[in-house]
Amino acid sequence: MNPPETNDPLDALLREQDKYIEDNGFTARVVAALPRRRRAWLRPAILLGAVTIGSVLAAGWLPWGNLPVLDSSALLSLNSQVLMPWMLVFSVMASLVWGTISALEWED
Amino acid sequence: VSFTDSDLIARVLSREDQHAFGELVRRHQSPVRAFLARLTRGDAHLADDLAQETFLKAWQKLQTYRGGARFSTWLFGIAYNEFRMACRRRKELALEDVDESSLASEEPAVARDSHLRLDLTEALKLLNSNERAAVMLCCQNGLSHEEAAQVLDCPLGTVKTNILRGKEKLRQKLSLDYKNYESA
Repeated sequence: MNPPETNDPLDALLREQDKYIEDNGFTARVVAALPRRRRAWLRPAILLGAVTIGSVLAAGWLPWGNLPVLDSSALLSLNSQVLMPWMLVFSVMASLVWGTISALEWED
Repeated sequence: VSFTDSDLIARVLSREDQHAFGELVRRHQSPVRAFLARLTRGDAHLADDLAQETFLKAWQKLQTYRGGARFSTWLFGIAYNEFRMACRRRKELALEDVDESSLASEEPAVARDSHLRLDLTEALKLLNSNERAAVMLCCQNGLSHEEAAQVLDCPLGTVKTNILRGKEKLRQKLSLDYKNYESA
């Protein structure tokens, strides 16, 4: 708290003006207008669920056993037949990681 | 049994208890409405609309209240944001500076006891919104400068400057004779 400026009549006057405002039905109006609260866990839970499903699908459908060998010569030659499957794998993995991090750090 | 604000907040979060939230509104409605009434230059109807929006936002975003600041400080922050959004919608409430020449050109106000309160109400309307908000929060509602900076979302130095400028304008407008006032 700031040290009270007890010697300043302006502060005293301002504090003096701080009068209680009667409720006069204000609280009842607010309570009557309250919507259902959004559940904070719902959206991250949906996102995590989607990530889980995506992970399962990726594990089942991606051609893990048939991935071409990724060596420096393939990288340097920009061989699309080698690079494309790996880019697909990296894209799927990056999406899953991003989804997981977003769900865990979710702030409504 | 008297519940603290924290108890009531916990009940709202865990049980979606509208009665608990109603008690929070009842406790804090007066300072929030008074703050908004000052910011809107005495437009009580608009102030109450903004206050209602403030509490509805608080209801929806209560899980984001971390408990680091006082609940009232958090509410003032929402209220000030609601006011700023209203300013964007309604140009007459714009945050522009009041022409300071209007302070100098007018006859000095007679700060007699019976008129002092009315004079102060009118004088507060001459401050710009940033000055008025800072003066209201710190000098009337007892917030620290740090809390006011948090509410107004501006640097600490800006709050201090706005308070100094605001109070100087009030003194100038009121032509307050401190010795006379103290002896009154």
